[in-house]
Amino acid sequence: MTEAAIQVQDLHFSYGRTEALRGISFEVAPGEILGFLGPNGAGKSTTIKILTGQLPVKTGRAQVLGIDVTADDPQVQSQIGVCFEEKNLYEALSGRENLRFFARLFGIRDLDADALLRQVGLAERARDPVAKYSKGMRQRLMMARALVNRPKVLFLDEPTDGLDPVSSRAIRTLIKEEAGSGAAVLLTTHDMFEADELSDRVAFLNEGRIHAIDTPENLKLQHGRRAVKVRMRESDGVREQSVPLDAADAGEQLGAALRSPGLMTIHTEEATLESIFIEITGRSLEG
Amino acid sequence: MSRPVSRWAIVRAIVRKDLVEYARDRLWLFLTVLVLVVVTVLFWVLPDDVNESIVLGVSGLEDPAAVLGGPAAEDGLEVVPFPSGADLEQVVAGEADAWQTDGGTLVIDGDSDQAPPEGARRVDVPIGIAFPEGFPAATAAGEETGVAVYVDGSVPEELRTAMAGLVRELAFQVAGHPLPVEVPAQGFVVLGEDRVGSQQSPREGFRPLFVFMVLMMELFAMASLISKEIQERTVTAVLVTPAGVADVLAAKGIAGALSGLAQAVVVLAAIDSLRVHPPLLLTLLLLGSVMVAGTAMLAGSMGRDFMSTLFWGMAFLVPLLVPALAALFPGTASPWVRALPSYPLIRGLVDVQSNGAGWADTLPQLGILAAWCAALFTAGWLVLRRRVQAR
Repeated sequence: MTEAAIQVQDLHFSYGRTEALRGISFEVAPGEILGFLGPNGAGKSTTIKILTGQLPVKTGRAQVLGIDVTADDPQVQSQIGVCFEEKNLYEALSGRENLRFFARLFGIRDLDADALLRQVGLAERARDPVAKYSKGMRQRLMMARALVNRPKVLFLDEPTDGLDPVSSRAIRTLIKEEAGSGAAVLLTTHDMFEADELSDRVAFLNEGRIHAIDTPENLKLQHGRRAVKVRMRESDGVREQSVPLDAADAGEQLGAALRSPGLMTIHTEEATLESIFIEITGRSLEG
Repeated sequence: MSRPVSRWAIVRAIVRKDLVEYARDRLWLFLTVLVLVVVTVLFWVLPDDVNESIVLGVSGLEDPAAVLGGPAAEDGLEVVPFPSGADLEQVVAGEADAWQTDGGTLVIDGDSDQAPPEGARRVDVPIGIAFPEGFPAATAAGEETGVAVYVDGSVPEELRTAMAGLVRELAFQVAGHPLPVEVPAQGFVVLGEDRVGSQQSPREGFRPLFVFMVLMMELFAMASLISKEIQERTVTAVLVTPAGVADVLAAKGIAGALSGLAQAVVVLAAIDSLRVHPPLLLTLLLLGSVMVAGTAMLAGSMGRDFMSTLFWGMAFLVPLLVPALAALFPGTASPWVRALPSYPLIRGLVDVQSNGAGWADTLPQLGILAAWCAALFTAGWLVLRRRVQAR
């Protein structure tokens, strides 16, 4: 069995009297993308800060690549890549200089920064200072920065937050490529569609606890309705009909609909991750 | 793929990045160049010499130069005869100007449109002695006389007392009597360098202040960069790489000290002050730069934005500047000034540049400065580390 790239067991963390994590446990395998879904304050960023050595482990256990995480551990940090929610880039330096600087911190002197910039669509702006970059360009550069050391584990905190569809798609493609090449990815997001599209598994985090963790398909099966919605045009207007797939006459009903000249559309009534989250936690992702 | 990286390679990368950032910060770059230019220009504009002689106006004696010439010249006195006591009073009071011509001293009223004769030399007369008519005869006859000594408000008390002594001595001299006491033999023992004839000029006096001003600019610039790095959380991005807090702090200290030292050396070279004991001066400046880097770490850690960083920079700057200002004035600095961290640096610079002190003479200042450097750098390190860890 492949050893997990990230292992977290009964992890607790408090900021003073405020409990941010109340005993969470999960694993992420190499090549797997785990989506962390939860509203603000759920504990997503705290988890990432602990796993990247920004916060100490107080209670519980956190391992990355089989190494216990402690604050500022170069052994762990040399093998991880982090994309922060805030755009913390050196604005006076160009995109290329930013990447080369961070590469040197990993001991990489021969980084092909231009190839990396090309990968995120910034090759044309390689020499421009970051101060002149748009928000989307900065986010793409943040993603490129997280990849300078070809990390085995990627921590991505809201990597597409507030981006235009084109930039978001570019970043999602990159995330899939990294996972495809064997990197374990821990992705936090508010965006249920992104989580659904990218994640092999998703974890629902709320008030410092994981309420559910499974593949999106399983969650939908467990919490959604197995039914399709059929829309038919009839003489007196448009009629919608819900056909439960578990019903004894489901086949007949669908067959009749398919044969009908008035058939307009057939949609599944599968639950969305957001509706499942609300059902499980009792609160919205936007909170 | 990353490979094991040495601490030094990490520190070097951060130092290089910091210096590039500093060089691209237009505000600080402009201010740095401005200070370097202003300091250099000011230095060369300031007077390089000091008039050590005292001009003494005398009225009521027929040939005052003959009477006063011998002892006066030895005491650095330039004797200027005046036609009357009233003229002398006017000139010392600044109500009239005195012009020396071949025919004697010409006094022109300040409100007058009269032009001075060609070739005349204007003389400033801060002290005047007005002898009454027939002073030699009256003194010789043992009659009671009165002598007026006029002094400008800026004349120090010691000089006024000396003038009173001179008048008494003259009275005996013009009366042809010996002094009533046997004057003891006087031996002057000059401690340190004898600066008679080579007093410290304004240009020389300002030299340590100028060097210190450049270091102080460095304090603001580094504090601002440190504060910005914390506020914009770029330091967080650095700390999730193999770089540790100690690497970041070491790099900040090195970048600050290097930058401060380079600028101080440039300004010293520009004001032609690196000729005397260059290695000793560079050692003093290096310690000064480290001290400033430590102070910048403190100010940068305390600043929450540009304005508060400026505030903290000023809060540290003002006390550090006091010894440099005190060096402008002759005399021994007060004990509280000597207790300030920048005092040994300023004292060392003055000793080396003005008095030609060497390593042995400067050792106490170097020791105290090194101790202050260690204290301020450690304080800056601890405060900045706490701030970075709490990011």
